Parts: sequence; C-alpha cells; structure tokens
Amino acid sequence: MRLVVSLVSVLLLLAGSAPVRAEQGVTDTEIVLGCSNSFTGPLAFTGEQLTKFGIDLYFKGVNDAGGIHGRKVRTVYYDDGYKPQEAVANTKKLVDQDKVFAILSPQGTAPVAATLEYLEQNRVPLLFPYQGSPVTRGKKYVVNGMVLYDRQAKMMIDYLVLQRKFKKFATIYQDDEYGKAFLVPFEQNLARHGLKLVGAESVKRGATDVSAQIAKLQAAKAEVTFVVLTPGPGAQALKERQKIGWTDTLMVSSGPLTDERFLGLAGEAAEGVEGLSLWPDPLTSDLPGLRAYREALKTFAPKGEPNRYALHGYFAAMMFTEGAKRAGKTLTRESLMTALTSMKGFDTGILPPITIGADREPLTQGFWVRMEKGRFRQLTDWLKSE
Amino acid sequence: MRRWALGALGAGVLAWPWVAPRYFVFLASLILVNAVVAIGLNLLSGYTNQLSFGHAGFLAIGAYAAALLTIHAPAIPVVVTLLLGGAITAVVGLAFGVPCLRLGGLYLSMATLAFGFVVAEVILNLDALTRGADGLRVPAGRIAGWALSTDTARYYLAAAVTAVLVAGAVNLTRTRVGRAFLAIRESEVAAQASGVSLAAYRTAAFGVSAFYTGVAGGLFAFVVGYLSPDAFDVFLSVDFVVMIILGGLGSVPGSIMGAAVVTVLHDWLAAFQNFRPLIFGAILIACMLFMPGGMARALRPLGRR
Repeated sequence: MRLVVSLVSVLLLLAGSAPVRAEQGVTDTEIVLGCSNSFTGPLAFTGEQLTKFGIDLYFKGVNDAGGIHGRKVRTVYYDDGYKPQEAVANTKKLVDQDKVFAILSPQGTAPVAATLEYLEQNRVPLLFPYQGSPVTRGKKYVVNGMVLYDRQAKMMIDYLVLQRKFKKFATIYQDDEYGKAFLVPFEQNLARHGLKLVGAESVKRGATDVSAQIAKLQAAKAEVTFVVLTPGPGAQALKERQKIGWTDTLMVSSGPLTDERFLGLAGEAAEGVEGLSLWPDPLTSDLPGLRAYREALKTFAPKGEPNRYALHGYFAAMMFTEGAKRAGKTLTRESLMTALTSMKGFDTGILPPITIGADREPLTQGFWVRMEKGRFRQLTDWLKSE
Repeated sequence: MRRWALGALGAGVLAWPWVAPRYFVFLASLILVNAVVAIGLNLLSGYTNQLSFGHAGFLAIGAYAAALLTIHAPAIPVVVTLLLGGAITAVVGLAFGVPCLRLGGLYLSMATLAFGFVVAEVILNLDALTRGADGLRVPAGRIAGWALSTDTARYYLAAAVTAVLVAGAVNLTRTRVGRAFLAIRESEVAAQASGVSLAAYRTAAFGVSAFYTGVAGGLFAFVVGYLSPDAFDVFLSVDFVVMIILGGLGSVPGSIMGAAVVTVLHDWLAAFQNFRPLIFGAILIACMLFMPGGMARALRPLGRR
C-alpha cells in the first residue's frame, strides 16, 4: 500500500513540474554542440564525412581564429548505427549529460524524427539535420538542412515541363517512404501542368533486379524517367536501360542519388543522366566558399576528399557560427533561434545568399546538371522552388 | 539473506529516479525493456533449446500493436494495452511455432532469422497503418487518467511490469509447463519417454516467449516514443542472443544481467563511433573466454557463500 502511495505521489510531482529552462552548453570560454549520427551501419561513410570532415573542419578554423565572441566550439558525437532508439538515447545523453547547447546536423529520417518531440519539448535547437523528408517542417526549434524532397520534386517538374517542354514522364521508385516522398509530389506537380505519369514502377527495398520495371517503362514510351532509388539499384536501372538499348528517354536521378560517386557505380551507363544538384561541385567549383573549403581540408584534414556530405556539415557549422555571432555575447537558445530566423541574404560563398524566414527552410534551390565523362556539367543557373 | 538482497534491490529500483540523473532513468528503462526480452528469449532458447534470431520481429509486433492501440483507442489503460500487445504477439508466436516444430538447430535459426526480415517488410508495406519508413510517433500511455509523459513515469511503468514478468518467469519452473520445459532442456528423448509432448511444449514455449517479447515491445514503444522498421533490424535480434549467452542460458537473473551489460555497453561505446563494433566484439570474446557459462554461472560461487 505504501508503495502505491509513493508511486502515485511521484507521478503527481512529475505531472506538476514543467521542463526547466536553463541555458546550458555555453560558458565564457566554450560552446558545446553535438549530434547522434551514423558511424556504423549503412550510412557510416556519410556520417563520418558530415561530422569529422565537415563540421569539425569549419570549427577548427573558427577556433584557431579565436572562436565565436571568445568562445571555442567543442563537438560531441555518438554513433546510432541508423537505429532510431539509439538516436533517442544518444540525443538524451547529449542534452542531459553532455549539456550541449544545440544539436547540429544529425543524419537520417528515422533517427532524426525519433528525437524531434523530445528536442521541441526541451527547446533545444535542431539545426540543419541531414534528411529531406518533410517530417521536420513547421517545428519551432528546427532549422531544416536539406532542400526537402517535395521542393526538389517541384523544381524538377517545373524545369522539365516549362523549359525543356517534356510531356511524358515516368518513374522507377523505391517502394518505401523515400520513394513515395517523391512519387506523390511528382503526381501533384504534373497535375498542375495538366499532365500525368505515364508509368510508375516500384522496386522493393533491397531488390537488385530491375529489368522487368525498365522494360515496362520503355513500353510506356516515357520521354523522362525519374530514378528514385538507392545507389545499388539506381546503377542497376541505368545499366539495364543501356543493355536493352533504350536511348530515347532522359534518365533523371533524384534526391541524394544525384552524386557523381553514386551514379559512377553504373560506369558509362551513367553518361547523359541528368538531375538536380543541390551543391556546387566540391572538387572543381571556383566559388570563394568552396576554395576556402578545399583550403581548410588541405590544412586540417589532408587525408579527406572533397564531397557533398562533408560540405553539408561544413555549411551547417558556418551557418551556426554566423547565427551565434549575430546573437551576440549573451548567447541563449532563444537568441540563437531569433538570430538565425531573421537572417537575410547572408553570403556563404557556397550557395546563393541565404535567407531564413518564418518557415525555417533556408535551402530551397538547386541547379540542373548532366553527367559527362564521370563529372557533372552545370546546365542552368540556380532554380528556385518558390 | 536472500530476502534482504531482494529488498535492497527493490528499494534501489524504486529510488533510482531520485538519485540518478535524468538520462540514466531513461537508460534504466531501456535495460528493463531488454531484460524482459532476454527473459522471454531465454524461456525459448535456454529451456527448450530453440535459438531464435528473430526476436526483434516479435518486439516490433508488440511495439506496433501497443502504439496503434494507444493511437486509435486512447481510453484503454496502458497496462491493458501492454497485455493486448503481448497477446497479439503470442498468437503470432504460436502460429510461427507450429511450422517450426519440424525444424531444429541451424534450420530453426534460419527460419527465425527470416521471420525478423519478414516482419520489417510487413511494417514497411502496411504503411497505411504503420506509416512505413517515416515512422510512427507513439503518444504517451494513460493509466487512470494520468499520462505517462516523463522519463520517470515510464521508468516506473517498466519497473512494475518487469517485476511482475520476472516473478512469473521465476515461478514458471514450479508449474507443470515449467517442469516440462526443464525436462526438455535436459533431454528431449527422456522428456518424451516420460510423457512430455515435445510438440505441444515447444510450441507453447514460442507462445510464452513471444508474449514476453510483445509486452517488452509495448514498453519499448512508450519508452522510446517513436517506432520505425529501422529500429528492429537483425542486429537487434543478435543483441538479444548475445544478452542471454553472456548472462547465462536458462537463467532468469542471468538474462537480466546480460541485458544490463549489453545495454550499458552499447550506450558507452556509442562515443567510440567507428571503433564501436571492434571494441564490442573484443569484449564479447573476452567474456566468452573467461565466463564460458555466462555471468550467472560465473557468479554462482558468490551466492553459495
């Protein structure tokens, strides 16, 4: 009986106590940031690039130059192996034990989505998560980190219909939320132009043979075929298309697949594939921000190779630094969010000037590229999804 | 002596949220969830020699069942939700156990392994219900009008449920069913010769094991607050097997110790990033070398003193 009474009183006490608002993770000399990320599992490469070769790279430069208002930035990372429950555990540990100020650039839809509610409740900023599903849209303490998939779909359709005058679209997509995150907006945006998909073939997650699907799409006489697949099956689709000699269609890769490294898996079958690139070429671009990035890589991490994942982390760290600078000497989570969401036309030297509005989606643009001899060639200026 | 030890343990479990930082309350809840799964798996593997590499699948069924019940019928008290989740999982376990009767050893392990993959695929493809790979947010469970919305509240729920299930597992060996399980563990032939129906009890073991794992799945859903098929991959099933082998096959305290060690180890090793699997593997090999019968057997001399 006594046990029941104490249990009930415990519950009563807890129900009465609201989350405590204490500014943490900022001292006179230090700002602590962190994230849960994939260092093992299917996206381990991306995770390591984002953090150690991206975020840390930029902060090394910042710290060497004296820090942000005299505060050095320290980062803490934990591995979640792409498991949401471990991402929750890691994120709680970061906030409760390591007392981080904000979460910077965690990776993956499921791991990020699993921590959303906890972070919102505790008013911890979640900045530039590396995931494109709209689950992070409209959250008060989130600044989104990718061009969300529905915006990418809109840009692709608008460009191909209005500028390239294509009419018959089809897609081969992965049969999961990633594939559907593109499929649905493809249909919606085609409908705006009075068009429909002439074919939509699904591929099960983990499948490697896509010959039946490609044959069906050829029979549907698609002028444009969107490839919404993971790297392995994506390369398979391109090779299959080459094998059956289906030349009168434009293959367009979607989402994170639009990367030389992934399309390169298909070898010469990837020649002529087009897509929407969200970042300038990290290897060759002459933009001042990218030259600075490659310079930093040479100085601080000579073993690292320039790529878009590391560039995302580098960019996220740059945006945080700018926000924290603007928030001033008395840095709080609220003042950081205010500084970030009132940012207008900030020139990163990497992307067109960044404006973060009330929608907290700073990244809304990409440009069109074509794969030529293993590298992307830029075909357009920046396209907008507004 | 034993009563004192149990009393101290109980007091420690009750006092934990008041002495430990908030994060460790959450971690303790995870340990409790894993302990229930480990006990359930041990009832199957330790007692009836059926090694399962698919318990992440059972965990997923219990978790999704509890989450969907909470979403669509929020009036149901959380304890009933957990029981229903366990019952649904038990039915699946029984149904799966019947065809597995003809399989033994490696073939059974293969079948359970496949089961785990099938469950993940089903969750992905029933996306109208489960929201597929986007994941399912689990609302706070309710008990007599109270929403269990803090880590501490969920910890006490997990602790209470675990206590009941531990008592059940300890006392199971005193029942007819439990005696039959023990007989099968010692010798299948001898058990059969004494009138124990191998088929019936091996199937029953699947049902009981699945029930435990299903209830743990419900707790998992509330403790973590978010479900996605990515959570229940084959490595999680392997972790459960590691827990019972490390803790000790056929031992309830061993299951709990194994679950605690593996959970804490995973948490601690997360900071080592890329080196995590390497260190984890090395520790496991060392444990197997120095404690071949698991922690339960290694600690037994201490208990006798």
